[in-house]
Amino acid sequence: MDVTIINPFIASITDVMPQLGFSNINLKEQSEKTKKIVASGIVLTLGIVGDKKGNVAYAIDTEGAKQIASIMMMGMPVEELDDMAKSAISELSNMLTANAAINFSNENIVVDISPPTMLTGESIELSMSKDQVMCVEFDVDGIKIEINVALD
Amino acid sequence: MENIRVMIVDDSTFSIAVLKRMLQKDGIEIVGTALNMSEAIQKAQEIKPDLITMDMTLPDGDGIECSKQILEQLQDTKIIAISAMMDEEIIQRARKVGIKGYLQKPVDQTDLDAAIERLFEGEELYGILKNNFEEAFKESIFSFLKREIGGEVVVEKLADHPMTTSSSGISVAIGIIGRHDGRLIMDMSENTALAMTRKILQDDGQQIDDAINFLSEFTNVIGGNACSLLNGLNRSFGLRVSPPTVFRGKDIIISIGDIMSESFVIKTDLGDVFMNVGFQKGDVEWM
Repeated sequence: MDVTIINPFIASITDVMPQLGFSNINLKEQSEKTKKIVASGIVLTLGIVGDKKGNVAYAIDTEGAKQIASIMMMGMPVEELDDMAKSAISELSNMLTANAAINFSNENIVVDISPPTMLTGESIELSMSKDQVMCVEFDVDGIKIEINVALD
Repeated sequence: MENIRVMIVDDSTFSIAVLKRMLQKDGIEIVGTALNMSEAIQKAQEIKPDLITMDMTLPDGDGIECSKQILEQLQDTKIIAISAMMDEEIIQRARKVGIKGYLQKPVDQTDLDAAIERLFEGEELYGILKNNFEEAFKESIFSFLKREIGGEVVVEKLADHPMTTSSSGISVAIGIIGRHDGRLIMDMSENTALAMTRKILQDDGQQIDDAINFLSEFTNVIGGNACSLLNGLNRSFGLRVSPPTVFRGKDIIISIGDIMSESFVIKTDLGDVFMNVGFQKGDVEWM
């Protein structure tokens, strides 16, 4: 497993989540998946170009996404994933990826990122740009966040 | 650099006079001056200048705090720090509050011109992009389908699109990265994707995985060609496309309302294709 690809993302979530008000960030699982990934809830994907090229996809289940949106919006109750809540989650994916890009640049790897694309649904089958996808799963205050990275 | 409205904040009337002369040489309109922080905050609110040159030492506060307060109210105003004092720490603090650049006094006319030009060229480029991206993508998808599928190809722009759209089966997203970033989403049913793949490869044995590969490459080509067309209009766009991500499933909802975008339905003999493309204004973070 190529840790240089996934480490900037691990560092990013460990740095960013506490700033947003989350306290327990635990890396649950780290694995290598084949191209096809199945996810339910919210999936956000961002393109990456530069010294490395590919994409990253974040997957969070709907309940977890609501909790995250609520904390990001200063504890405002989030009953359903409305536009405001979606926008918060979208912004989170942007912050996490931008932070990972900074972590890459500290390793002299310069990358730029695109705006996120957000999809919701059940059993979404994702095909990323590469056959080998690095995947890490985090438990953030009981919320499961999955990060899939396909970078060349 | 015409049409840029500038306010000068400096505790020295001499410095204000010098900056005024330099800016006027560029044809920039000076819409206000302020000698201290409270005057600066009040005038900025009233005048809403495009650009503020900000001294770092002010009698009733510092340029960092002053900029922070102004930017809380006026997100579109850009601030350049101009100060005799310049070290790593103050530059970092300036950056953190959203100041776009830092010039040391005495300011050189060329440096000032370059800084302002860099800050504002993005606005102009965004205008060009906004006026041209639709045509570029329409042209790109039309010529691809006409060439590869043939038959009747009609590109219709949707007058209005909601914040979200339901996927017809397979969706592909690619990121567009450059001076202003964007996103391209292509969506079609599995049947349409299969029919197109079979037609292009002239092989009825093509299966859904082949169709996914086709759609992925199709989106890549449309995005790449359209971005090349746009880069041809102005090289400063520097648009590049990221590799595609393909989504497949039932009842998938795609969010499209978060950035300025346009949606199109492309009618072909083999079925409809949905295309959404949009850009967001990139900002110069720091010069």
